[in-house]
Amino acid sequence: MFALAGLREVVAPGSLLTSAADLAVYSYDGALSRARPDGVLVARSASDVRRAVSWCAANQVPFVARGAGTNLSGGCVPLRGGLVISLARMNRILSLDAAARVACVEPGVVNLALQCEAEKVGLFYAPDPASLRVSTIGGNAAENAGGPRCLKYGVTTNHVLAVEAVMPDGAAARFAQEDGGPEMTSLLIGSEGTLGVLTKIWVKLTPLPEETRTLLAGFKSIDAAVECVSAVIAAGILPRCLEAMDRPTVESVEAGRDLGYPKDPAILLIEIDGARAAAARETAAVERLCRQAGASSVRAAADPVERERLWEGRRGAYAALARLAPNVLVEDGVVPRDQLPEVVRRIQATAAKHRVKAYLLFHAGDGNIHPNIIYDERDAELTARVMAAGHEMLQACVELGGSLSGEHGIGLDKRDAMAWLFTSQTLALFRRVKDALDPGHIANPDKLFPEPGDFRPGPGFIRPEPPPLGEHAGLLVEKVKSAPAGAPFRVRGASTRLPDATAQGAVELLTTGMSRILDLDRRNYTLTVESGISLHGLHRELESQGCHLRLPKVGGTLGGLLAARPWPSIREDILGMRLLLASGEVVELGGKVVKNVAGYDLSRFVLGSWGRLGVILEATFKLYAFPLDVPHSLPAAKPPEWNAWSRKVRDAFDPDGRFSPRLS
Amino acid sequence: MTEPLGRLLTDLGERAVYDAVSQCSRCGYCEQACPTYAATGRESYSPRGRNQLIRLMIEGKLDDPKAVDEALSTCLLCGACRTACYAKVSVPDLVLEARRALRVETHWLVKRVTRMLVESPASLAVLLKIGYLLKRSGLSRLGRPLLRTVGLPALAAMDEGVAEVPSRLLDEELEGLRAEGEGNNWNYFAPCGPRYLFPRVGVATWKALTKLKGLGRHADNSCCGLFSYNYGELADARALAKRNIEKAESAGDEPIIGDCSSCVAFLKSYPQLFLMPSDAEWRPRAERFAARVKDVVEVYGEAVKDLPLGAAEGTVTYHDSCRALHGQGLQDQPRRTAKAVAGQSYREMPDADICCGGAGAFSFVHEGLSDEVLRRKVGNAASVQSSTILTSSTSCLIQLARGLRKYYPDAKVLHLSEFVARSLEERHGP
Repeated sequence: MFALAGLREVVAPGSLLTSAADLAVYSYDGALSRARPDGVLVARSASDVRRAVSWCAANQVPFVARGAGTNLSGGCVPLRGGLVISLARMNRILSLDAAARVACVEPGVVNLALQCEAEKVGLFYAPDPASLRVSTIGGNAAENAGGPRCLKYGVTTNHVLAVEAVMPDGAAARFAQEDGGPEMTSLLIGSEGTLGVLTKIWVKLTPLPEETRTLLAGFKSIDAAVECVSAVIAAGILPRCLEAMDRPTVESVEAGRDLGYPKDPAILLIEIDGARAAAARETAAVERLCRQAGASSVRAAADPVERERLWEGRRGAYAALARLAPNVLVEDGVVPRDQLPEVVRRIQATAAKHRVKAYLLFHAGDGNIHPNIIYDERDAELTARVMAAGHEMLQACVELGGSLSGEHGIGLDKRDAMAWLFTSQTLALFRRVKDALDPGHIANPDKLFPEPGDFRPGPGFIRPEPPPLGEHAGLLVEKVKSAPAGAPFRVRGASTRLPDATAQGAVELLTTGMSRILDLDRRNYTLTVESGISLHGLHRELESQGCHLRLPKVGGTLGGLLAARPWPSIREDILGMRLLLASGEVVELGGKVVKNVAGYDLSRFVLGSWGRLGVILEATFKLYAFPLDVPHSLPAAKPPEWNAWSRKVRDAFDPDGRFSPRLS
Repeated sequence: MTEPLGRLLTDLGERAVYDAVSQCSRCGYCEQACPTYAATGRESYSPRGRNQLIRLMIEGKLDDPKAVDEALSTCLLCGACRTACYAKVSVPDLVLEARRALRVETHWLVKRVTRMLVESPASLAVLLKIGYLLKRSGLSRLGRPLLRTVGLPALAAMDEGVAEVPSRLLDEELEGLRAEGEGNNWNYFAPCGPRYLFPRVGVATWKALTKLKGLGRHADNSCCGLFSYNYGELADARALAKRNIEKAESAGDEPIIGDCSSCVAFLKSYPQLFLMPSDAEWRPRAERFAARVKDVVEVYGEAVKDLPLGAAEGTVTYHDSCRALHGQGLQDQPRRTAKAVAGQSYREMPDADICCGGAGAFSFVHEGLSDEVLRRKVGNAASVQSSTILTSSTSCLIQLARGLRKYYPDAKVLHLSEFVARSLEERHGP
């Protein structure tokens, strides 16, 4: 219990709700957990938020910011009480520049409202979570929401250009992708309200495609459907959506009506968009690939009405399940795409073991799977089985090299599971980042990370060991560990960007020996590579294998490019990173799946850090089967100034400042 | 006060109230559909919030059940959330159940009118005529400040809100028309709105039905019971329902047609009043009755080919009565009708399907909130430069007339019947 009487004096009259009814209805979100706050602030402006957070910071009162409260992982639940800050009334679209394709919105703007405004000028906002009719851009950004279209267009972080935030100490800050140094925007997106409250968001809008074509194909097995998905991607076609459903899910949608879906064990709904001729060509190619993969039927929508009808089955899936029982657990896991058939087998076995039924929906193109389990929360025994099954399904995803969440977030419900996915060193780094920005732990406390000693994997859980470090990387680790106490480090690649000599007494960490391609995964179109590799060499090697990377074709090493971030788009496709810290620890950031919202997005944060956070040992990227338009030369860049916030985060990586002697 | 229903007829079958409210999974997909949530951004003013409060109340998890009064009393009962909900959780029915269980005090004025509708419609008619007289003479306007100071703001609001002062009530108006001949093609159920407030609507419906479907007759019905169901005693609602069912059974089997969508939607829901074992005899009778009931909006929708294009007179738009749209699923029929008559002059307004904030007595009891909702509605009507807004419920007629007078006097509101009857008259003579 926190006394909020003093807060009433600093916020607008009538904006602080404290009645029993109001506290009861801000105790939940779209998941199961509940905890009542001590008060609810209905914020109308950024200054309302600033005043409230400042007061909370001064009085050590925890707060949780909230949009529409549709979170599926308990992220909005005020675990320790304190204040809920509702942003639902901050719902103005502040500007929409059709020429620049940028909109600036308040966090409470509903996703659909932005879509409608953008459509009026021939644009759209790409992230399309299923909740888009009600969920807010602020909530979408806090969770790094995805949606069916993100296969082609990317998730929320790929569409947020800048944010204005109130940080946990009550200070207002503006962060943009074009800021020098590590960029805080990436760190705040997907941080689930644990590092600050977004009060303004600048988002990128995309031109509406000239043509959209929709296909529905039936397959004899999940394996065959996934095989088809891989073939489509390998053919250099990037559909806008590649959605799959299993037979029980289709049956539940078709109960009482006939949508004309094939009666096969697996269904693929494929949507292709683009310029008219290209879309037609690609649609024909996809149709052919479906048949080659053994599709028993392929149906193309002839007109928008039929297209709607094909989508009705996919969109109606959750709706149909919601009618079968009062509650639906919408689990959210990710695996490398080629592991989908295996994870489906494990999910079915887990469901059978716990005597529950899993209805499967997946964003097949991304390897993002939603097992849906229906239940009635009033049946405690059943609920316990459902939750246990859900957790085991996530374990299966982790075991297969995937992640805990593709788009719903970790929140409260999956915080324990973070210890399955990340090493204790990586978790400790996450915690230090939280401590650096929110030392009092008042911003959405107790979320995202397991409480100490909380590691409780299910029986037989085997965490995949990270592949061993390369020989040269191992040498660097040793060099760091054995360096004289307090000696500064200097990271050096090909010396194309920072040619100056290493200072006297500093330990030079030369990356150029780390030049191997560790994993060119042509089934999943991902690449893991050591950072010292020459960029030109890397591009050449990939192209000889028909693969392409969204990185500039310039000289120097990959690590140097990532560290200098001379081209903003290098952030778009980075999936994961291994980083050597000043302590000699190696942390694994991100992963190798294309959709992943587990933990802070530190791989993006490291971009642009100029070797001042640690040594990038390896990085993982999304690959393409078609050439991309990337720059062949870039202007020379100088190490930029860091803002006060990224300096604070630096302390989490390198508390003694050994990597960045010139900064501080 | 009154015993709750205990059970409801939901989209998923007959359910106990606790099961019906527990069907809400808190997904929140209803939130944006709710006019009071849109106006306030407060979860306790949202369908999900109301469901959860009702549920906590049933589970005994609220220390003070009275805490939910405000959340319950501010629900417009529009049912937009039900349409948005995948499981079709019927928040209006649940809110009414909770109000009954909590014995939430109904405003005395609303209660008084409700009782009169049940017990002595004739004296209500007399009172109304006195009221109309006062209003015509301008005395009521002078009395408004006095009403407010003596603590009767709702009466003052009501006086301000209702501009319509018919000199004759519907039953008197219909006398002449009935004398011209009655038949058994249809049975006109006269809702209280047209009967006491908008006789012109009832007359238009009668004339339009006669032209489209031949001669019909008056149901000589009682009040449908909706006011009792919403604001008074369930027992009264049942008594009125039984009276109307008996009357209709004696008439034959022609369709029963009403011209207030709120009233008609309630007639269609009569079976829900008789779920108790003690009412076993009445349930099938109510089901047969409900199957005969039609909204006049449906009748027009089926007869569009017989509807003549009327003389253009500015832009025409349509406002969905919540009980037509969410209560009966009538979305296409009224639009087809309006377009058939208005032709090129028809323009759809944005958010036509959002409640106007009228909602029975709501606008008199929650003036501020109702006005907030109303301003959005009028703004949307103005955004298409409409000069005529069509609708199909009494409360929408009152509320929109009030809103237009206040914020957009260029336009007027008509019942769909009036619009149809006028064009039929232009074509075929009176």
